Amino acid sequence: MDIIAQNLPAFLIGARNTLIYCFVSFPLALLIGLILALMKGSPFAWLSTPSRIFIEVVRSTPIITQIFLLYYGIGAILANYDLAQYDNAWVAGIATLALNYAAYEAEVFRAGFLSVDRGQTEASLSLGLTPQQNFFRIVLPQAIPLMIPPFVNDFIYMLKDSAIVSVISGSELTSVLQLKVFQNPADPLPLFALAIVLYLVMSLPTSYVARTFERRLRAAL
Amino acid sequence: MEQAIVKARPKPRNWRVILDYVFYVVLLAAAGGFIYYLYSYRLIIARYLPYLLQAAGLTIGLSVVSAILAIIFGFIGAMGRLSRFAPLRWLATVYVEVVRGTPILVQLLFWYFGIGELLSSLGFDPYNAAFSFMTLLQENSLVPIAFDAFFYGVIGLSFNYGAYLTEVFRTGIETVDKGQTEASLSLGLNSRQTMRHIILPQALRITLPPFTNYFITLIQDSALLSILGVTELEQTTGSFADPLLNSNDKLFMYILGAMIYFVICYALALVARYLEGRMGRAY
Repeated sequence: MDIIAQNLPAFLIGARNTLIYCFVSFPLALLIGLILALMKGSPFAWLSTPSRIFIEVVRSTPIITQIFLLYYGIGAILANYDLAQYDNAWVAGIATLALNYAAYEAEVFRAGFLSVDRGQTEASLSLGLTPQQNFFRIVLPQAIPLMIPPFVNDFIYMLKDSAIVSVISGSELTSVLQLKVFQNPADPLPLFALAIVLYLVMSLPTSYVARTFERRLRAAL
Repeated sequence: MEQAIVKARPKPRNWRVILDYVFYVVLLAAAGGFIYYLYSYRLIIARYLPYLLQAAGLTIGLSVVSAILAIIFGFIGAMGRLSRFAPLRWLATVYVEVVRGTPILVQLLFWYFGIGELLSSLGFDPYNAAFSFMTLLQENSLVPIAFDAFFYGVIGLSFNYGAYLTEVFRTGIETVDKGQTEASLSLGLNSRQTMRHIILPQALRITLPPFTNYFITLIQDSALLSILGVTELEQTTGSFADPLLNSNDKLFMYILGAMIYFVICYALALVARYLEGRMGRAY
């Protein structure tokens, strides 16, 4: 108990930093993902091919490889131009999480847009709406409720994947855990228990809310 | 008449369609540039690629062993979640929720530094156990120095994926039509025979595509074993890249490692898509 009380403040700061990582990265991922989804759905190859290549490459490589590439690989190049201080754990971590999740969110956006009945688009276009108006006033409002449950799920995944930042010595919960385990090698189990409980506190309520919401949505449709 | 024909000519193409042709040229140039980029690092490729491929083999081997263990964990978990005995159901639910609610990185650290340290203080050491077992077979030089990390890494990976597969198997079993169970029970099969001969063969077919997808993420997550010191692809890439002085070489090394992962995972993703098209549905 003593060891838990002693380390709780540091762990709480770590949990706070985990949340900061996610709350910064996730909106970025949504934004990039929306752009990627719109590009992928475009009939023009010069828009759809780059987006498709990006999505396939990101989804087929481990996130730890991506973070090493961005932090050590790009960092080494930036060091040549005296820019290495801009490639710290915060920037590299947020960039990796945002780019990685953008590829997954793009698929969610696409699935959402495709699930809106094609007849809706046809009707609105034949009523004289422009394609822009059709997208923003007809398709998007109907697609958003369908996309919220997968977004919440992905947010929980991001909460867990943000642990990856600890490999480049970030300052979130898993980094704190690693540091404290390194400092107390004799008695690590309470520290692990503390970290696991904190992660569960962050992820379980969100996932229950998401599940209830999803069930209600299914019932409404 | 002449003017009407001139007017009826198709309009010039949309400029965005013309951009497509420009894009294909740019894409070709980019592909050529990438090949030239690889060619300009041919010395590094020739020197390091054999070792990287060896490490990739280890990554695949680790992943296959973990996947087999994960199937066992997942099957036990699914049986627990579908059990009529409530405490078993609660236990399986806690397993799934706790494992799915925590990062796999924390779990790996927990198995290696938490459980591993605890067991070794109690006198169990996987390395010594494997060493003495292989000594009996007179092959103890085959046991790698980092055997503890292998052992706990594989356990951690498979325990984690077992929780995800629990849900996959459970939904697979639940998706099989209830009428099948009723029919087989009324034909006089007992509940074990029903599960073995009627439900599982059909559930397996439904679970195969999600299982392949999880296998792909399992290969990607096996890269996390590098932090335990297992010499798989990611760890090998890092250990080659780290001492390189030239920053371009360093970046190339990480790109090379990522390319090997891409080749493995993309090939499997194509298989998964094929399976999804063919199976993925109940009969």
